[in-house]
Amino acid sequence: MKLQFSRKTLGIPYGIFLILFVVAPLVVIVSYAFTNGTGRFTLSNLTGFFADPNTLGTLLYSFVLAFVTTCVCLLIAYPVAYVLARFHWKRRSVLLMIFIMPMWINFTLRITALKEILTLIEGNLAFHPFLNSVIGMTYDFLPFMILPIYNTLEKLDGSLLEAAADLGADSVQAFLKVTLPLSVPGIVSGISMVFLPAMTNYVVLDMLYNSTYIMGSLIGSYFSAYDWHGGSMIALVLLVIICLFTLLTGRDEENARGGALL
Amino acid sequence: MNGKNAWKKAGPLLAVLMALVLVPGACLSRTAGFTSQAAAAKEQVLTLRVCNWEEYMDLGEWDPEEETIDLESGDILGELPLYEEFEDWYYENYGQRVEVEYSCFGTNEELYNMLTLGDVYDLVCPSEYMIMKLMSEDQLVPYSAGFFEESDPLNYYERNVSPFIRETFETHEIDGQSWSRYAAGYMWGVTGFLYNPEEVSEEDVSTWALLSNPDYFRQVTIKDNVRDAYFAALGAIRHDQLTDAAFLAAGDYPEALERTMNDVSQETIGEVQDYLQSVKDNAYSFETDSGKADMITGKVLANLQWSGDAVYAMDQAEEDDFYLNFAVPEEVTNLWFDGWVMLRRGISEDPAKQQAAEAFVNFLSMPENAVRNMYYIGYTSVISGGVDGDQVFEYLDWTYGAEEDEEETVDYEVGYFFDPEADPSEYTITVPADQVQRQLFAQYPPADVIGRSSIMQYFDGDANAAINRMWINVRCYNLNKVPVFGRVLLALLLCAVVAGLFVMRRKGRKR
Repeated sequence: MKLQFSRKTLGIPYGIFLILFVVAPLVVIVSYAFTNGTGRFTLSNLTGFFADPNTLGTLLYSFVLAFVTTCVCLLIAYPVAYVLARFHWKRRSVLLMIFIMPMWINFTLRITALKEILTLIEGNLAFHPFLNSVIGMTYDFLPFMILPIYNTLEKLDGSLLEAAADLGADSVQAFLKVTLPLSVPGIVSGISMVFLPAMTNYVVLDMLYNSTYIMGSLIGSYFSAYDWHGGSMIALVLLVIICLFTLLTGRDEENARGGALL
Repeated sequence: MNGKNAWKKAGPLLAVLMALVLVPGACLSRTAGFTSQAAAAKEQVLTLRVCNWEEYMDLGEWDPEEETIDLESGDILGELPLYEEFEDWYYENYGQRVEVEYSCFGTNEELYNMLTLGDVYDLVCPSEYMIMKLMSEDQLVPYSAGFFEESDPLNYYERNVSPFIRETFETHEIDGQSWSRYAAGYMWGVTGFLYNPEEVSEEDVSTWALLSNPDYFRQVTIKDNVRDAYFAALGAIRHDQLTDAAFLAAGDYPEALERTMNDVSQETIGEVQDYLQSVKDNAYSFETDSGKADMITGKVLANLQWSGDAVYAMDQAEEDDFYLNFAVPEEVTNLWFDGWVMLRRGISEDPAKQQAAEAFVNFLSMPENAVRNMYYIGYTSVISGGVDGDQVFEYLDWTYGAEEDEEETVDYEVGYFFDPEADPSEYTITVPADQVQRQLFAQYPPADVIGRSSIMQYFDGDANAAINRMWINVRCYNLNKVPVFGRVLLALLLCAVVAGLFVMRRKGRKR
């Protein structure tokens, strides 16, 4: 028996996966979003979304939360990645592993531990719901910021920096004119890997006692009220926002090859 | 070219891999087919699809040394999951093989969504309001007349259900039909506060307004569930009316109470929203399941809780020598039930299946099995026993009865549950004095608490939509709260982000 696989046939498993778990759900979401309870086509879910100060407020709240989280992640991740990549430690991979290791531990367990630590520090978690949410998200997403930045910095050609020094740039100038611009793809990739999940990951908020809804929990509350149509519309709008965001950053992400280590 | 060669080399390897994955699967399905065919030849196996709450049935594996319940009428010990024991019991008594497919759900809404999406079950165990909803949508099969035949020794439910539960199920109706026709009770309870008696005074915990009491700023949790929150808020808002002497003394008090607690007029929903808003600003958090743990670890001082979970939390805390109490506010408490209902789509007019479903309910209603469930999950069974043994009452005495050297004891009456017509002394147990505020109180609240209990209806259509809207209003950050300068700042920020992305993209292209 002679078996031969063309590339086409090898693509079949993924094709099936794609249709079952990506295309089909999307079709369902879109059809729910544009119908009402009786199955008729309607735009009222869409207008409802933009007329409701609650959904818009939630969008804003999620956005601000995700924005702050991303900034904090970036501020922590960049120096770490820089130090790891530029200085020649003997056991660099071990050091890097330490930063990635939290990802090997179950998410719920990690946040529960964080909850206890924060309670020890703050006494009562309920006084700082927003701050706690930012800390929780940062804790959760930091590796996703470190890795792509580390990857770009690590591949940075050292001779470029030597050339900069030869041409009279001091170390600050060399960093600003050479290192930073060349690491932009990694930064962009990191941002998109942190910002988007941070807008919807409501489990962190739930576990750290932030009673204000973000997009994920809002969709959930629509579903538990049996309003599949309103919930689907929120999911769809979110999807469109994410698409726009990805379109704007897509090209750089390709260059960054971020997360190759994941 | 190189690539193609590589594929050719990898081809056989992949084929082997795939064969490894596929062949055993095919074998498995074939043998499964053979065995079931063989069984069918011998006798038909009926499949009963049961869906229950998570951790809501005794799953056995008790430690015989530590956990045997040694009652006067004999020892009780859970070895196998109850639903597995049912399979043998059913074969012995009905001569038919049955296989129980046991699965679980997390919330009533989740169960409803599962049913809507096409999952098929024969027997499910939702709460009273979901039963009402399913009843009104004609999704349920009524219990057969034979199920209510008290003379049949296998009808454990009819023979052993508490008179109090029986009456409640008979007097409550949906569309002119009483619940008892469609639902058999399983567990029941009330809502109240689990609290730390060292930090919270009895007076403070005697009202639902504890939730908004500034003395306990950020130290009380409330359920993240619109129905429980709505009920508690109404109790707090209507405090004066509900505790008014004339209101309490009126002849139609139970009906008036239920009317008040099921008020979903526009103004009332508005009032509830305002109140819950203040609760959100005052409470520790809205919790789905963390409340018990937070009480035990001392993160919060009080927690709106269902009686069964309160028992569980009190038991857990006791293991660390930490003592928690349970109290039911003076205004009103929410009386709730979980019950077994048969689904039309699952049973589909198959009498054999319906018989098995009804037998399953009867099996769970054997007093011995009721005790096993109560011991295992901490909730209170609707079974009081009597006809087929007094294990439930014995178990109560076994669990809570005072030791002989106990210093302070009180007599605790539970006759309303076991037999209202018997002499009260017959169903009175002597217990340590602190039990009046602890597990016993939560598991079998005294008659006066039951007197001020109200059932909460299910809300449909507009009322349901209005309440859910109210809930979203409470939980969401409202855009109108943003001041003008905030909006300007925000717009600028947004522009900066978009512009930044564009610039980055340009730079990327240049390279």
